[in-house]
Amino acid sequence: MLGLVKGLGVTLKNMTKPKVTYRYPDEPLLMPNRFRGIQHFDPEKCIVCNQCARICPTDCITLSGKKQPEKKGKVIDTYTINFETCILCDLCTEVCPTGAITMTNNYELAVYSRDELFKDLEWLNQNNTHIREEQSGNVAKRHGGKQ
Amino acid sequence: MLRTEEMLLNVGPQHPSTHGVLRLKLKIDGEIIVDAEPVIGYLHRGTEKLAEDLNYTQIIPYTDRMDYISAMTNNYAIVHAAERLMQLEIPERAEYLRVIAMELNRVASHLVWVGTYLLDLGALTPFLYCFRDREEILDLFNELCGARMTFNYMRVGGVKWDAPSGWIEKVAGFVERMKKEVKEYHNLITGNEIFIQRTKGIGIVSKSLAIEYALSGANLRVTGINWDLRKNKPYSIYDRFEFDVPVGKTGDLYDKYLCRMREIEESLRIVEQAIARFPESGPILAKVPKVLRVPEGEVYVGIESPRGELGCHIVSKGKDKPWRLKFRRPSFYNLQIIPHLLKGENISNLVAILGGIDIILGEVDC
Amino acid sequence: MNSWLLIGPVLLLLVVLLFVVYAIFFERKVIGWAQNRIGPNRVGYWGLLQTVADVLKLLFKEDVIPNKSDELLFRIAPIIAFVPSFAVLAVIPFSDSIRFSDFAIGLLYYMALSSITIIGILIGGWSSNNKYSLMGGMRSAAQMISYEIPLVMSVVGIVLSVGSLNLTEIVEAQKDVWFIVPQFVGFVVFLIAAISELNRCPFDLPEAESELVAGYHVEYSGFRFAFFMLTEYVYMFAMAALTTVLYLGGWNAPFGLTFIPPIIWFVLKFLLIVFFLFWLRATMPRLRADQLMQFSWKVLLPIALLNILLTCVLKEVPVIGAYF
Repeated sequence: MLGLVKGLGVTLKNMTKPKVTYRYPDEPLLMPNRFRGIQHFDPEKCIVCNQCARICPTDCITLSGKKQPEKKGKVIDTYTINFETCILCDLCTEVCPTGAITMTNNYELAVYSRDELFKDLEWLNQNNTHIREEQSGNVAKRHGGKQ
Repeated sequence: MLRTEEMLLNVGPQHPSTHGVLRLKLKIDGEIIVDAEPVIGYLHRGTEKLAEDLNYTQIIPYTDRMDYISAMTNNYAIVHAAERLMQLEIPERAEYLRVIAMELNRVASHLVWVGTYLLDLGALTPFLYCFRDREEILDLFNELCGARMTFNYMRVGGVKWDAPSGWIEKVAGFVERMKKEVKEYHNLITGNEIFIQRTKGIGIVSKSLAIEYALSGANLRVTGINWDLRKNKPYSIYDRFEFDVPVGKTGDLYDKYLCRMREIEESLRIVEQAIARFPESGPILAKVPKVLRVPEGEVYVGIESPRGELGCHIVSKGKDKPWRLKFRRPSFYNLQIIPHLLKGENISNLVAILGGIDIILGEVDC
Repeated sequence: MNSWLLIGPVLLLLVVLLFVVYAIFFERKVIGWAQNRIGPNRVGYWGLLQTVADVLKLLFKEDVIPNKSDELLFRIAPIIAFVPSFAVLAVIPFSDSIRFSDFAIGLLYYMALSSITIIGILIGGWSSNNKYSLMGGMRSAAQMISYEIPLVMSVVGIVLSVGSLNLTEIVEAQKDVWFIVPQFVGFVVFLIAAISELNRCPFDLPEAESELVAGYHVEYSGFRFAFFMLTEYVYMFAMAALTTVLYLGGWNAPFGLTFIPPIIWFVLKFLLIVFFLFWLRATMPRLRADQLMQFSWKVLLPIALLNILLTCVLKEVPVIGAYF
């Protein structure tokens, strides 16, 4: 019987303890800086090296570049991430040599139609809030920052 | 005489306490189980086959999804195997970060087990308490690597992120709090007579049976066999820490519970020591080439995941992708004993025995 | 008088329904608090309309009758289960003036009628033609029948001391000392058996979610399901009221605090028991079916019999005998 009484004591004590729940839909949950949310894409920085598309474990990134007459190399033309398959693994931002693609702390991905999950260049560019400040991978290496 | 016949009962794949998508075909005579046959594969994603087409860095996020309750140990299994083949020297700081991460993950994993197990037995509250405390660990991981469950934290040669400033202190604070919480769990659960009634003397596994069925982890240790890969075949820097391997006496479900609770305490002990000796600074990634090419050869590494021996077998042909990759998933091996254990049991012991094994279906089906 | 005969039960039904609605709400809140949660708080102020919304949802649900079920039995099972649960309320005296029926064998009437519900549950489990619900129904029947015996046996002690089965007389006999003191053993047995009769945690095997998915009402949905749920909570109302009447002195005020009206005292004691049930549910795991049976026949029944013997013996002892 003693064990049962002890258990009852524990639950009674917890009734007065502060609640641990979040008021999530009412108040947005802020994620820590390193959180891997939906990517932000900066077309200015992109050099169309295709590394992100190649490292992607689920092949969810498709991109194409076009020749620019006055500059060397290519500039980005289209850039699409398919969030049906994207697992937000952070590898694309890790390999990006210029930091054109970075993670943000936004995570709201629920939509009514699957078609909306194809996020194009413009959408990803607009997604510019809560961008991760800390860099990892190739960018960090280039800037000589502590890895 | 009334004619009686055996009834075929399908438990799962959508059943509240098969912990995912396990299906059990039970033959029952009244409430006594005559025969049980687990049917698996509902969550099979072909990780091993997919891995043959992915380079080593790309495989890491896939391993997150095998044993999703303790992804850190899965991460470690694959990178450890690759490192063994490449004979890499891992920086000190990275090793410590790995050990802290893995041991915290072990605590989180066991908390999930304790919570869901008590839920299986019909107690609602321990589940919420366990998840409350696990949430703190997940928040710590979230700060460390930016994800709550699919960490993708380890890399061949080190780890992806260094500990953010103040993180180590937070971990130390958590360890202190958790120690108190464990006492509260003991108050709430361990002495509960109903819980003891439900678990004592049930699902007993003998030493020889455990070895025959290749059980590992807590399932093996409850039978009285002192076998923990962290002690017996030390990997990483586990040989530097002082910790005990909890061993059971009778091999019943109550022992399993006690074993896992003590493992939580031991893991906290390891984390404490790791924090005390955490190197001030240093690199977190070894010098690895940009394109990882693992030299030709074969390697098998076994590590102690929360569920048992998690093995990773790589056959490399010197490419940047493994030629063949095989995971020895402890849940899969531990599940095999289920038909043996269930035969002749009352159907109300079914969930207690099944839950006691601690299977993760993502890992069973891989 | 005659008009009260009609309005009274309707009023009681409304009170009971209100109780059920807020008992469910309060249960969720209490369990939430015990688990460091807030509990329902979205519908209405402080979540007060949560259960109302739930009930409305159940009412609007499509009425599903499984194809292979025994349709007639499937339809009448919830009714068979519910009717006795409400009928037993007739004999319970809520205060010295608020009561419906005051007949000599009130206690026996309660015990006899409440066992009819088992038939409803059994029929529900059987007619669903589902293996899980069949097992749930069987377990339920076995459990309720075997706990009925210690339940009745435990109150025999009181009947012996009062010399009557009339619930009003039982309350009046507790003017000085509540029966929880002299009949403590009986009280413990009664409480345990009552919780089991109510199919509540830790004896909620018939609806053991982790094993039997939902027990006898797996296949029920919509309003029929609501009726089973209602039955359960009306029984909780009845059982808590009966416990108050039998052991906690009914409407009698403790320590001579008679300035508070008797009905308030009744409600307070009643709520204490209801809270205890919720509290228990927040703490306990579930017993196993065979252990449950063993516990009833091997532990509770002998203790209850011993209690009867003890009462008989102590009744003859001078001084103490006055309390028995």
